[in-house]
Amino acid sequence: MNLHIEASGNRTPVVVLSSANLDAGNIRDFREAVEPILADHDNLILDMEQVTFVDSSGLGALLACLRLLQGKHGDLTLCALTKPVKALFDLVRMNRVFQVYPTREAALLGLSAS
Amino acid sequence: MKAIILAAGRGTRVQPITHSIPKPMIPVVNKPVMAFLVELLKQHGFDQIMVNTSYLAPAIESYFGDGRRFGVDISYSFEGYLDDERIVDAPLGSAGALKKIQRHSGFFDEPFIVMCGDAIIDLDLTALMDFHLSRGALATLALAQVPREEVASYGVAVTYPNGRILQFQEKPAVAEALSTTVNTGIYVFDPALLDWIPENGAYDIGSQLFPALVAAGEALYGATLPFQWLDIGRIADYHRVMQMALSGEINGYTPPGREIAPGIRVGLNVRFDPATCNIEGPVYIAGSATVEPGCTLIGPLMVGPGALLESGARVEKSVIFDYTRVGGLANLSGMMVSGKYCADTTGTVIDPRASDIGWVIADARAPRSEPGDYQRLILESLA
Repeated sequence: MNLHIEASGNRTPVVVLSSANLDAGNIRDFREAVEPILADHDNLILDMEQVTFVDSSGLGALLACLRLLQGKHGDLTLCALTKPVKALFDLVRMNRVFQVYPTREAALLGLSAS
Repeated sequence: MKAIILAAGRGTRVQPITHSIPKPMIPVVNKPVMAFLVELLKQHGFDQIMVNTSYLAPAIESYFGDGRRFGVDISYSFEGYLDDERIVDAPLGSAGALKKIQRHSGFFDEPFIVMCGDAIIDLDLTALMDFHLSRGALATLALAQVPREEVASYGVAVTYPNGRILQFQEKPAVAEALSTTVNTGIYVFDPALLDWIPENGAYDIGSQLFPALVAAGEALYGATLPFQWLDIGRIADYHRVMQMALSGEINGYTPPGREIAPGIRVGLNVRFDPATCNIEGPVYIAGSATVEPGCTLIGPLMVGPGALLESGARVEKSVIFDYTRVGGLANLSGMMVSGKYCADTTGTVIDPRASDIGWVIADARAPRSEPGDYQRLILESLA
């Protein structure tokens, strides 16, 4: 699992998830890779542009990250969901739980405005 | 009088619906597309109907049988072979299908109707035949106008004022289309036309036979008769046709069931109390379905036979197929859903098993699975 942080020029770092899947097959790797990032930051933007498949384990892993950050009064914001991932999010109403922005730029703008 | 319905296509552009049913059997609420065509043929006196089948042939053959139920005679020309008890489809193309039947028995011995099994039409077939006979045409095509941006999906025809066809363009680019008059896939053919089809192999009417006939200067005519033409070429078309059918916008068609309140129709043995749900019609709940209290149903919506909507589910402008369980967390808008897939109109498909979301979408007949750790986390977050 390759997660890399890109400085955003704003306080919230953008984490790019470079994997086509986030599912039962790689959430262990995801957790290991994301743990130190979660430890260092309270707010994160996760750029999902490269992810085309998420299953219920993947959703659960994202929720676990969200809870951890919210426990520190921070937030996990998602952006750039691909069509199949957005369809799944809509289906299970994840938009009630996550802040989701269509693009990274919109996410950065949205967060700096709020 | 005689007709043929072309029913051998795979319907790849209507996947995932056509993974398990052939295109002519795609249900428009309670009725396969092809049943509309058989009824129309019968209404206009075409009571000897050949159907060429290939992909998932048994589904068509077992539904229509010998045609007696529809007041017509139906027989099938199967294109494929049996391999170790499994039917393998090997379609011959639309023109090749006619040739095979003609070689088999010489069935086409008078002008006959040809139609594709994947569109709902209310065309005046009698008027089309009269047009054909009065022109002495080798073939007459029913033409229709489409918006210019849609021409790339069709065969475009250019005609003289008297209807004679000057030129064809098969699926032209929008900028290159010479007209917005398109071939609807409904024809009258003179039997002499069959001599133009090669003896063996696959051959297509629109892209091969017609251009050859025009090039040879044969008398092809296009008839522009006004009619409702609901082509189910892509999955978005299917969604639109379903929305129209549920809204009562298909000519001559009334949605099934008993109307228990304005815009709410139900079949037999339905467990559903409209007073306990938030409903905007038109909604059709098919037989033996269950809608638990606390659901939101926004029409046009169909809940198929034996389907189950669990308390809290929100379902809007969607088609819920037979025996689909929709969990209380589900939010479906503009979707076509079965236990095996959840598809939107743009072709995005969620496979509930691959995505491990059996707690939201599953087959209603399958045993319920216990939620795992992550699923519990999701359920808690949404509670």
